[in-house]
This record gives sequence, structure tokens and C-alpha cells, in this order.
Amino acid sequence: MVAAYALSLAFSLAYGYYAATHRGGERVMIPVLDILQSVPILGFFPFAVAVLAAATPGSFLGPNFASVFLIFTSMAWNMVFGVYESLKTLPGDLKEAADTFGLRGYLLFRRVLFPATVSRLVYNSVLSWTAGWFFLVEAEIFSTNTSSALPGIGSYLSFAANAGNLNEFLAGIIVLVVVIALLDFAVWRPLGRWAERFRYDQSPSGEGGELPGATYATGRFRRATSFVTRGVRTGVSRLSTPLVQLAAITVRPGRHPSPRRRSAVYYLALGTILVLVWLLLIALTVAIFDVFTSPISPAVRQQISLVPIAMGASILRVAAAYAICLAIALPLAMKVARSTLANRVGLPIIEVVASFPATALFPVIIFVLVPYLTPDGAAVLMLLTGMMWYLFFNLLSGVRSLPPDLVEAAHSFGLDGRRFFRRVLLPGIFPALITGSITAFGGGWNTLIVAEYLNLRSGQQLSVLGIGELIDIGNGLGPRGDALMVTALLTLVVTVVAINEVIWKPLYRRAVTQYRYD
Amino acid sequence: MALIRVEHVDKSFASRHGTIAIMQDINLSVKDSDFVALVGPSGCGKSTLLRLIQGLDRPTGGRIYFRDQPIDRVCRQMAMVFQNFALYPWLTVSQNVAFGLEALGWSAERIAPQVERYISVIGLDGFQEAYPRELSGGMRQRVGLARALAVEPAVLLMDEPFSALDPLTAESLRDEVLQLWRDPQLPPEAVLLVSHNIEEAIELADRVIVLSRRPGHVLAEVPVDLPRPRDRKSSAFYDLTDRVYSLITQGGPASEGAPRAG
Repeated sequence: MVAAYALSLAFSLAYGYYAATHRGGERVMIPVLDILQSVPILGFFPFAVAVLAAATPGSFLGPNFASVFLIFTSMAWNMVFGVYESLKTLPGDLKEAADTFGLRGYLLFRRVLFPATVSRLVYNSVLSWTAGWFFLVEAEIFSTNTSSALPGIGSYLSFAANAGNLNEFLAGIIVLVVVIALLDFAVWRPLGRWAERFRYDQSPSGEGGELPGATYATGRFRRATSFVTRGVRTGVSRLSTPLVQLAAITVRPGRHPSPRRRSAVYYLALGTILVLVWLLLIALTVAIFDVFTSPISPAVRQQISLVPIAMGASILRVAAAYAICLAIALPLAMKVARSTLANRVGLPIIEVVASFPATALFPVIIFVLVPYLTPDGAAVLMLLTGMMWYLFFNLLSGVRSLPPDLVEAAHSFGLDGRRFFRRVLLPGIFPALITGSITAFGGGWNTLIVAEYLNLRSGQQLSVLGIGELIDIGNGLGPRGDALMVTALLTLVVTVVAINEVIWKPLYRRAVTQYRYD
Repeated sequence: MALIRVEHVDKSFASRHGTIAIMQDINLSVKDSDFVALVGPSGCGKSTLLRLIQGLDRPTGGRIYFRDQPIDRVCRQMAMVFQNFALYPWLTVSQNVAFGLEALGWSAERIAPQVERYISVIGLDGFQEAYPRELSGGMRQRVGLARALAVEPAVLLMDEPFSALDPLTAESLRDEVLQLWRDPQLPPEAVLLVSHNIEEAIELADRVIVLSRRPGHVLAEVPVDLPRPRDRKSSAFYDLTDRVYSLITQGGPASEGAPRAG
């Protein structure tokens, strides 16, 4: 994990710095990064394991490299965006001042560029680290499903749960909690305070009363997630521009249609194109496998034919989990933002719970709850754990960052209850709601892979028809299942891109134009 | 009859370092057709006092009365104009102006003509469908003013309403506020203005109430008997400014922010 972090740090500084300073590089590197990071990371894990294990046969090194690589992929993107964004938004006068004094090379980096990125880098590191835990555990659990198990806390937990050894399992959980808490208090909090010094957007304090500032945690979540979202947004837009142009060529209306109709036509065209692209990719994959490797067995072929239905089921599951998340997170965020008691007592607890990798608990969820829940219910429950916190922390900071004078004006004019909610609160947190939803869905897609298919050695098995399940089955089948895995993965990627494009991007655009304070 | 009476009002906030007294034993009154300005150094609680008067916040001690009724919740016969406008970016100019009327529970048919009326009184014709971000600072504050006037308040509370505007815009808007106040056909009856600009206070108000440094208390009430329109360059104006200025700089104990046991 430390290795992965060091790698991420070096990579993000180099990549972010290069992308921010070289125009040509920027045009290529940022879209590439966008696509990479909007793809569910875990899907690539089996590839990485296979490739690296093949490269180093017969040793533990291969799988270990693979897991470092996986954690790296979970950590790097938002750190790169942190570096990139903070360099791009560096105030012009600071840059000019450095130029007039002739600063360059290493000195420029040390005195200007690095300090400019420190604050965001630290914030994003915390989030990266949390995500890292999540994927570490997930990766190790995942690998226990295959032949090459990785020794680590995740596989330890997994084995303990498989063997039905509750004591060992609890011990593992406690160790994990202690490590996370220690890291938080000993490393991230001091680092966060230190990084505060590098911020240049100090706002003057108001007259009189002391307002409780946004806490460290919500700040870091908000920042980090907003980079990710912005990344997704630009990535999606860059990816889609050619498609849209294509759409414009194919659907050239004679008359000037109304904006609403044009957008309908636009989405219809876009949808068609995406479906076509997807079918093409699938056909291509199947063809490639047919030609270059052994022909696909009928059983696998049948599984592949299930892919569209599975995708639909997965979408429904993620949507259901999202609805539940929203129903819990919104009242909770309002409560925490408003009451000092909930803020002081509740928030630290929520923070610890949030940074705990929910994946570690999945074996328990199955073990304890499956008898009471339908498999679908258990899968949705696991999705919840992977989606909830993004939404909660975004909403919390949204409620918190409502400008106080807008709230006060509403009180001054006597607006309360439902009218206040509809007229002021909801529009006020709309951008945060959208950002939170995008990141929550991102988390959901990633969690799918574990949530839909878990195989315990004790004979219990959780398996529901879904795209995550198919990826897992494909992985479990070894080389024979590669075609299944690839098609399922491609389907997932295309769906994620499509949903971003059709649902989130327009909403996000609206959020930043209409619901922005200035 | 006094419209507003503030009697022995204290306000303190709890903070990490103990209780901080913002103001102590504030007494003042606002009469019908009064234009009162509150001035004082920053941190003396001028804006807090304005919020206490409308009932947005409760005093720690003392009472506030509006037409002899104690203020125990937000008083709907007053309306506030905010320093940074507090306009809702997701609402159009019309919707922002209608905001207070909606909160009063007016029907849509009643709201529309009222909104139109105040939009034209304030000179916002043609901007009904614009969003706040498309307007200049001066125009935004006009929207804030129209929103406050549309509910036809008895008292207009203004919290540093011209501070965020450029000097020329502020000057013309000040003139308009003065005209509105003097027009018997239009609200409000009285205006209570918080300002840190002494000249502005003297140019507009009948009386200037000078608050001390924190904890704020009333140092003096300076009546302004100069005929309107007032000439900022006249010697009488200058003398008054000088008097208020020295009251603020010399007056009051130098105990800013001193924590008390609590």
C-alpha cells in the first residue's frame, strides 16, 4: 500500500505537472486520464493479475505487483487531478511574480509549483488512501476466489469468514480499525493542518459571531470528489464530442427545431450511436476470441448472451441503492449540519465509519444476513456501503456551504418548512447533490463486482444475475472465461459512459450555470 | 408612539474562550417616519442588533418591542436589505421580488401585480426575467430593495446596503432610498440603517446612533438637523462628521473582545 502511494504521488506530480504546463500534452493526457478513471478499476484487476503472474511465474511477486497496481489505479487519478487543477487555477499574479524574479527549474518547483499543489494533494491523498483501503481489501478478497491468494488483511478476513471463525474475523476487523484510526490521527490530521498554510483563498471573517467552519473531513471529501467529477465531466465531453458531431451529421433537421425537441433528437441519436458502438465492440471481441484463441464454449456463449439482461439488473440494483442512500443521507446531512451536538459527537463517528473499507465486512454481511435477506437485498446492502459516504459528505458540505445570508434572508421573509426546503435548501444544495450522485454512482459500479458475486468456501454463495457477477464468473473460469469477462467489462464501461453523458452531464451543466453562487 | 423600542438589550455569544459580550445595555427607539442610522466600529454588534430587532435572533437580556408588542419571533412588518444582496441565484428578478410575498402566503394573482409595481418603482423594468448574475452590483441591490419593499414593511432594515457598491452607484441608490422614504404613498414608514460610513449616515438620517467598541453600547444619539438635500461639503456637515468620528475613535472602554468568565 505504501508502495502504491509512493508510486501514485510521483506519478501524479509528474503527470499533473506535465499536463498543466504543456499544451500539447494536456490535449492528450487529460482525456486519457478521464477515460481511465471513469472505468471501474476493479474490472482490470484480473487482467493485471494474469499478466503479471505470467511475467513472474511461480512466485508471490506477480500477484503482489498486481495488487500494488490496483491500489495505484484507485489512488492515482484523483491525485493527478488535484495537481493538475491546482496548477491550472494558480492565480496569474503569483505566476507572473515568479516570472519577474526569473524563477525557474527546480527553484520554481520548490517555491511556487509544489506549495501551490500541497493543499489539494494532501486532501486528495486522504481520499486516495481511503479508496486504497477499500480496494486493497476488495482485491484480496477477489483473489481468494482465484487460485493465487495474496497474504494480507483482506484475505485474512476472507479466510476467517470462510472458515466461520468469528474470533479471528473480529480480531482482523479490530486491527484494521486501529490502523486506520492511527493513520488518521498521526498522519493525515497533522498533515492537513500543515497543508492549510498553503491555501491562498482565505476569506475574511465576518463580524461578531463565530461560525463553525466546515470540518476537515467534509472539506477533503468535497474537494476530492469534485475533482473526480470534473474529470469525469471533461472526459465524457471530450469523448462524446466526436459522437455528437457524428450525430449532427446523421440527423440534420430541415427546419430549426425547438430546443426541447433538439435535445430529444440529440439524446436519441447519442443513445443509438452508443448502442451501435457497444454492439460493434462486443462483436469484435467475440470475433477476436474466436479467431485467435480457442473457440468460445457454448456455455460461455450462453453467458455472454445474458450480458444485456445482467446489465439491466445491475443498473436497477445500483439505482435502488442510490435511492435508499439519498433517503438516508439527506436527512442525516441536514441534521448534522444544523445541530451542534450531532456535529460534535456524530461526525467523528461517521468519519471513522466512512473511512473503514466496507468491503471487509462483506463476508459478514453474507454470513449473518443472507438467511434473512434475499440475495438481491444483500447485494443492494453492500452497494449502499460503497455509495453512501460520497453522497453524505457531499450533501453535508452542500448544506454547510449554503451562503448564510441566503438562509437568513429566507428567515427574514418568514419562509419555513416545506417552502424553505423547496425554494432555498434544495436549489442551494443542487450542485453538491449532483456531484455526490456522480461519485456515489462511480462507487456503486466499483462495488458491483464484489456485491453481486461472493463465493465462500463454507459452501455459502451469494450470486445474483448482474454484470458484476458475470465479470466474476468470467474471471473464475480462467482462460476459458476471458471472452465473457471482456464483453461484460466492455458493456459496463459503455453503460457508465452513457449514463454519465445522458444523465449526469446535463444535470451537472445546469448545476454549475443556474445554481451557482457568485 | 414609538415603532420600535429597544430596552436594556444584552447579547453575548459562547465561544471556545468563554462568553464574549457583543453588546451591553442597548437602549434606543425608532419613531414613525424616522430615519435612524446606527454607526460604530466594526465588531460592535450593529448588524447583530438589526437582527435582534427583526427577531432573527434573541437577545441574551432585555426586551425589544414593535408597536408595544414584544418581539418573540421574526417580525413580518419589517423587511431587511442585505449587504451582499442575498439574492437567490436560481430565481429570476421577478421570483426574487415575489419571494417575501410567497412566504406571506399571497396567491399568485395577487403577487403578480404587486411584483410588477415594485419592479417599476425601483426601476427594474425589462429585467423581470433576468437572473441575478446577469445584473451589475447596483441592479442587484435594487432587486434586494424591491424584494424588501414588496411586502410593504412598516420598517425597512438596511444592513450596510451600499458597502458592496461602487461610490457612484451607491450615491444614486441612496437618493432613491431617501425619496422612497419621503413618499407617503410608498413604504416604509421608518428606516433603520446600519453603516460604517459616517458621511453616509449623516447624509441620510434624522438621527445617528453611535455605538462603542465591543461590548457595544450607545455612546450618543446625534440629531442631524441639516436641511435636505444635504451638502457634504458644507461646514455644518463637516462639523457633525467630525463629532461622530471623534466619538467613535475616543469613546468606550478599550476592552475589545475581552473574554468574561463563563
